[in-house]
Amino acid sequence: MALYPQSQVYAQPQYPTGYPQQPIPPPAPNHFYPPTQPQSQPFFHVDPDTFRRDYMNRLAELTVNSRPIIHNLSIIAQESKRYAQIVAQCIESHIRRVPNWMKLPAFYLLDSISKNVFDPYARQFTPLVVRLFLDTYEGVDQATRSKMEEMLLTWRTGSPDNRELFGVVSQLAIERQIWGSGSQSGASSLKQNGQSGVSQAQVVSELDFVLGQKERALQSNPYDKVSQQHVAILHQLRSLVQAGVSQSELGAILNQLRTLAPAPTPAPARMPPPSVALPPARYPPPQHLPPPSALASTPSVPSYPVPAFSQPKVEPTAANLASSSSAPPVPVPNISNLFNALMKAGVVSANATPTGAGQTAKDQTPPPADSPKDALREYRKAIVSARIRLGSSDIMRQRPPIVRFLYDTAPSQCKQCGIRFSDSSSGKKRMEDHLDMHFRQNRKSTQSSGRGHCRSLFVNVEDWISYGSSDAKGKGRADGLVNAKAMAAAEAAKADADLRAMYVVVPPGDEAQSMSCPICKESLKAEFLEDDEEWVWRNAIIKDDKVFHATCHAEASASKSSLAARLRNEVSSRSRSRSQTPEAQMKDVSHRKSESPTPKLAGNKRKAEDDGHIFHGTKQEEGTPPMKKLALTA
Amino acid sequence: MAAYANVHLALETMRVKTLLHAQIRASPETATPDDLKEDAENGPTDAPRVLILGPENSGKTTMAKTLINYATRSAQDWCPILVNVDPSEGGPMLPGTLSATPIPTPIQTSTPAHTLGSSATTAPTHMASNSLMPFGYWYGHAEIKRNPLLMDRLIRNLGVNIWDRWDVDMIGRSSGLIVDTPASFAANSGPNSDHRQSLIKACVDAFRINVILVVGHEKLNVEMQRTYGKQLTVLKIPKSGGVVELESLYRARVRKYQMHSYMYGERITPPPGMPPLSVTQTAVRYLIGGEQSADMTLAPSSSIVSFGEMNIWRIGEETMAPTSALPIGATRVVSEMQPLAVDPAQPGSGLYNAILAIVASPNPDEAERYDEEILDLNVLGFVVVTALDLPNKRMTILSPTQGSLSGTDSYCWFVRVAGTKVVRYTSPILIKSRDQHSTIAPVEC
Repeated sequence: MALYPQSQVYAQPQYPTGYPQQPIPPPAPNHFYPPTQPQSQPFFHVDPDTFRRDYMNRLAELTVNSRPIIHNLSIIAQESKRYAQIVAQCIESHIRRVPNWMKLPAFYLLDSISKNVFDPYARQFTPLVVRLFLDTYEGVDQATRSKMEEMLLTWRTGSPDNRELFGVVSQLAIERQIWGSGSQSGASSLKQNGQSGVSQAQVVSELDFVLGQKERALQSNPYDKVSQQHVAILHQLRSLVQAGVSQSELGAILNQLRTLAPAPTPAPARMPPPSVALPPARYPPPQHLPPPSALASTPSVPSYPVPAFSQPKVEPTAANLASSSSAPPVPVPNISNLFNALMKAGVVSANATPTGAGQTAKDQTPPPADSPKDALREYRKAIVSARIRLGSSDIMRQRPPIVRFLYDTAPSQCKQCGIRFSDSSSGKKRMEDHLDMHFRQNRKSTQSSGRGHCRSLFVNVEDWISYGSSDAKGKGRADGLVNAKAMAAAEAAKADADLRAMYVVVPPGDEAQSMSCPICKESLKAEFLEDDEEWVWRNAIIKDDKVFHATCHAEASASKSSLAARLRNEVSSRSRSRSQTPEAQMKDVSHRKSESPTPKLAGNKRKAEDDGHIFHGTKQEEGTPPMKKLALTA
Repeated sequence: MAAYANVHLALETMRVKTLLHAQIRASPETATPDDLKEDAENGPTDAPRVLILGPENSGKTTMAKTLINYATRSAQDWCPILVNVDPSEGGPMLPGTLSATPIPTPIQTSTPAHTLGSSATTAPTHMASNSLMPFGYWYGHAEIKRNPLLMDRLIRNLGVNIWDRWDVDMIGRSSGLIVDTPASFAANSGPNSDHRQSLIKACVDAFRINVILVVGHEKLNVEMQRTYGKQLTVLKIPKSGGVVELESLYRARVRKYQMHSYMYGERITPPPGMPPLSVTQTAVRYLIGGEQSADMTLAPSSSIVSFGEMNIWRIGEETMAPTSALPIGATRVVSEMQPLAVDPAQPGSGLYNAILAIVASPNPDEAERYDEEILDLNVLGFVVVTALDLPNKRMTILSPTQGSLSGTDSYCWFVRVAGTKVVRYTSPILIKSRDQHSTIAPVEC
């Protein structure tokens, strides 16, 4: 039974159930579900005739696409390899005998047996399969045909060594008959084909096949952004191909598709339906584009997942398409754009080399940093490209592209409440916060609330005004309230702490001398700083060659100086303080006792500030309270 | 719905452009040349501030909600403000209030009690729309014609506070607001049309409206085009096909339900076919209205307070004749805006079964106070007078939070109530319509 370790993959839509058009006479229920005949039922048919009769009987049950029946028949075939010829004959005669609408399941059986029990059966089927396939193909309706084409495509790599299931010759013979002469070299050598005539039908059918694979992959992993995007692109490609493109483009597309479609599934885990969701690892992540120059402004943002980055490149095209696709025959020029998009998205590699090659090298370049601004920019572009204005005619436009903005731009969804988040780094952060909120609320709801819950009072004006949306996003809770006064108090406390963290290195030789602050007349306490291995005065600042308490000095200068005086101080004393105060004297309070790299950072920051020499109103954003800044520069 | 979606996209275009402009102005050094170029091409931008007008049963509130939800669902951090100036609907508050509510996440609809989201409770809630932070003023009547002057003033107060909030909130400012109006704003005939115009004007001025959407009312559309067409966008939106004519009885029942659920919360019943949540506690959990526990029951508290502990005011006279009915040359003794103290001990005070609004503390600085300050104080909560004991000068009030007004055991309530007043509102639903205004406040602390 080791051959069927994953027999549940039959449940995948590889064998689509039912026929869309034909009304199927419902067979007896036990035909659908033959579990009454246990799979382990022994088949010791010594007599070939008995076996043939028995197998034909069982085949006759295969009137609809029923997974258990196919499964059973495959097992029987596997267990009776010595009667391989008989099995092949049975199946062939069955296929030829039954009405058209019953042929597809039998083909699925043939497919399943050949792939699972490759050794004798593929050989047995090889002489029959071309004629059988083509005869059947002519007889069946369009829906069945496309299913058969799909199956045919899987045969390209159906054998255990990823070669053609029934050999190159058979494969080519069938493909040539079905799609014309375009594929004469297709199956054997990917590199050569494509330039000669390729029929549109073949491309479409292969597109459908790849699309089916992708969609299945997407079903099994709905949050796979890459696959989502591939599917979207492939859909566009398909509509374009149907609208008609030039022969060379067809060839190119086909070439690219081939590099994708028949890629090998891992050999040991051979599964009966090869087109079942392929391991996502097989799809290369999109190749990174050179980062736009705009990204340089935010170098500190952590690395960023690939798919969302490559998406914007596709979006404009998609938007154009969506807006212009009212008439089915799309003008041809879009094809190159689309194809480029396809290439960029990594569905297709630029040259026809297998997509795996060269991938590793590209992966090593770090993904470009992204930022909320970029995400916003993409969104803005997409929105603006919808070109809807507030006017009567625009408002009445049919089929607004709103789904894209409500769903596609926000692919990650909270599984608990269904709220969506964008895929950008900030969106991920928000989603984490959101999940944390769920966790907190869940924990809260499990705790017993002695007195029950009650409605909260509404907030005050001051609270409401300062209750910014930015810090409360995703929480929106009463306990997240930030009082403006509390914030101011916290800021002041932080400024004070920062001041106290400042220190002055005691000049050599002065260790024993006691210094007192000229303002408060208290002596400065010297202490030994382990990190820098120096004696320092805590809470001290040097000003005009005198050592002050930093807090006293800040207080004094704040009280005496008007805004103008403060500004003057800032400008005039910057250079002096730079020369007198070593950089390492700035230290963040929170890291006072910790490792020494932090002071360096603080020093660098200040240096950058000083070198900048431009004082914007935005200096506040750096988190330095004005008090500290004053003290620093005074 | 195509029209709504298109409107949303148009508003979204305004939002993104405004945000770009605001970002460039806030930090010009980080803007890229592309951004600057784009911003220059955009020309003057402004966030969408939308006023929705329309007759009764035209889907105004639904449209406001749809637009808000579209905006919040776009994962762009928008936090638009939903302004409700329809006193007959409560928004997230109670009927009788005018409110502004920032909406950070989509509003769910699970119950008619608060279709526009529920204000915050102490219960653990998963949906941000169930713990909103509304801000509002107490108007106290269901109809705007009862006191248009007061309404005008409250609308302008609301606008001032919204703009104060936006001063520090760039994204919020770019998100804009959507104003849901009462149907009487659209009734362009009859005796009330003079104050109707002035109230629309008040809305446009206070919220600096730049888009007026007229839902399915051609005549009103023309009127708005004529009045405001030059300075802002007036757009007619077709009435949604799904609009259902609601009876006034139904609306009254919804209002009653809203008041009930303000105090008691609600228990959401699972749809038919689903097992009750209590059964599936451990096995299969599912969400109802986005919440994991369907039991959002709240526990209000009933307490007895003596008359002396509260100050109750009424705005204007209880029954006010129209100015035109006064004798020629006579002026009102009591103006429409004047707060009058109500003595609960007097028979006929009309306090029984009335809903009173607790308003915020007046300015602690005595010098800053003024006569009509109570009109400018926002609502903190509501209480209901459930019993009046005239001989003992006591009354029983039902308040949303636990603890009593006079008790010291409940720190939170005690502190918040210190110096607050309660404006009273006799709901036309709880008892027969006797709309009036009053205020209560504890005498000390």
